[in-house]
Amino acid sequence: MPSSGMDLKRQAEELLGNKLDRVRLVHDTTQFMELERGDVLGLDGRRYLITGVAYEGRFGLDEEPKHWVKRALDFSDGSQKLIKLVFFEEFDLPIGLLKVRCYRSPAKESRILELVRGRPQFMQGITHLDPSGNQVRVLDRVPGQSLDKRLDALRLDHRAWFDGLLRPMLERFLGSLEAIAFLHGQGERHGDIRRDHIFVHNEDQRWVWIDFDYNFDFKQSPFGLDLFGLGNVLCYVVGRGIPTLRQIKQERPQTLDLLDTGDLSPVIPNRVFNLKKLYPYLPEELNRVLMHFAASAPIYYERVEEMIEDLRPAIAKLPQPVREEAP
Amino acid sequence: MILWNRILVGLDESEPSLNALRYLAGVLGGSNTSKVRLLAVYLPPDPDSHPDPGQRADLAAERRLALEARLAQAYHMLVEARLARENLSTDLVEAGGRTVGQVIMDYQAEGGYGTVVVGRRRLSKAEEFLFGSVSSTVVHTATDCCVWVVA
Ligand SMILES: Nc1ncnc2c1ncn2[C@@H]1O[C@H](COP(=O)(O)OP(=O)(O)OP(=O)(O)O)[C@@H](O)[C@H]1O
Ligand SMILES: [Mg+2]
Repeated sequence: MPSSGMDLKRQAEELLGNKLDRVRLVHDTTQFMELERGDVLGLDGRRYLITGVAYEGRFGLDEEPKHWVKRALDFSDGSQKLIKLVFFEEFDLPIGLLKVRCYRSPAKESRILELVRGRPQFMQGITHLDPSGNQVRVLDRVPGQSLDKRLDALRLDHRAWFDGLLRPMLERFLGSLEAIAFLHGQGERHGDIRRDHIFVHNEDQRWVWIDFDYNFDFKQSPFGLDLFGLGNVLCYVVGRGIPTLRQIKQERPQTLDLLDTGDLSPVIPNRVFNLKKLYPYLPEELNRVLMHFAASAPIYYERVEEMIEDLRPAIAKLPQPVREEAP
Repeated sequence: MILWNRILVGLDESEPSLNALRYLAGVLGGSNTSKVRLLAVYLPPDPDSHPDPGQRADLAAERRLALEARLAQAYHMLVEARLARENLSTDLVEAGGRTVGQVIMDYQAEGGYGTVVVGRRRLSKAEEFLFGSVSSTVVHTATDCCVWVVA
């Protein structure tokens, strides 16, 4: 039985628990800029109430609205969704001194969502085709915060981090690595591996990958960009922040003399990867994994499995935390 | 069976692969002891990056044409260097999900080439880290042949 306009408005307000000025039922998402709070998306017989737009979570760009990503509520159960609408863009992504041609691909994200269904290390979602054939991705919102927000909020010095938390953190990271290895095994790539694309789930603290829509023209090394991202996340976790030369100059100038260019990332040459020079208590095995991402590395990892193989025994060398629960 | 005088040359649109060819022309010029296969690997445009079929077809045609032109140019250079036409041949193969380096080495193994010739792009460490390098893949995966990396 088709509900009248008034019915829809009442249902939407009930779902939201708040009044709405205006409620519209929309099927076509091509003009995604025009969709706003109060619009109800009707797709494949399901309905989603748009409650707002998502904002750029990236460091320093907090205020930018992303008009192609809407926040929404599912009419069927009131659950929170993020709805990604089709927005093609193509641009040169600066990575250190290099630029990489980058394409946003809804098709890639939809395919990966199918592939990772039921895998707790990945965000979950489904794809609806709207009447214009747009691939609308409806994502379950992972309840939690991004890894960087989570870790940056901790007030701990590095030694306390190392003694109390690093081991369980890296055990979780190992799960994230295995998840990416699975993706690569299926011939797919994440495409945008960064510490803010891992969400820490509120319920069981597991790490969940989000955001699969970046694609690149790949060259000889099909997984090079993903591995680069994984190296950065590892360094971030082990160092509780990736130390830059500038920070070291300010905070511990005496260690600056110990460093040379071989200790830095070849791609972003102000990031220090030889963390043992800063934190001498790090096990050699762990530092060796990090050094695969440093400029002095004779060879780089080409596959995630190689990284996992080295990281697993390195984690075993870390102190067991006294307290069980970790953030 | 691997034959030392069967030579496989990997070519792309870039300048360094022509340098490799010039070197080869210099070394082999005038001789008729070797068979040379000029190989270009074609990477079709990725539908994820280029979803519009018309645009993708244009891009594909453009890439193929560039490689065919390069193969023709290379063939001509070797003829100019007085290599016999019956010892020269060209091929353009599609990567089919493999990387260029893998395709070259698969081709080497299947065709029994004793020598593989590639150029070197002089990548920075950063580029090699992120994108990989064809010449280092070739060097690292070669088991039963000789590799000339012309820098
Ligand atoms: N499944 C999810 N659960 C919780 N939050 C999410 C989820 N997916 C996305 N987000 C949040 O929404 C933001 C935008 O989503 P996402 O990164 O997927 O969009 P995007 O347009 O592809 O962004 P980018 O600019 O990183 O490419 C994320 O940074 C994150 O804060
Ligand atoms: Mg993205």
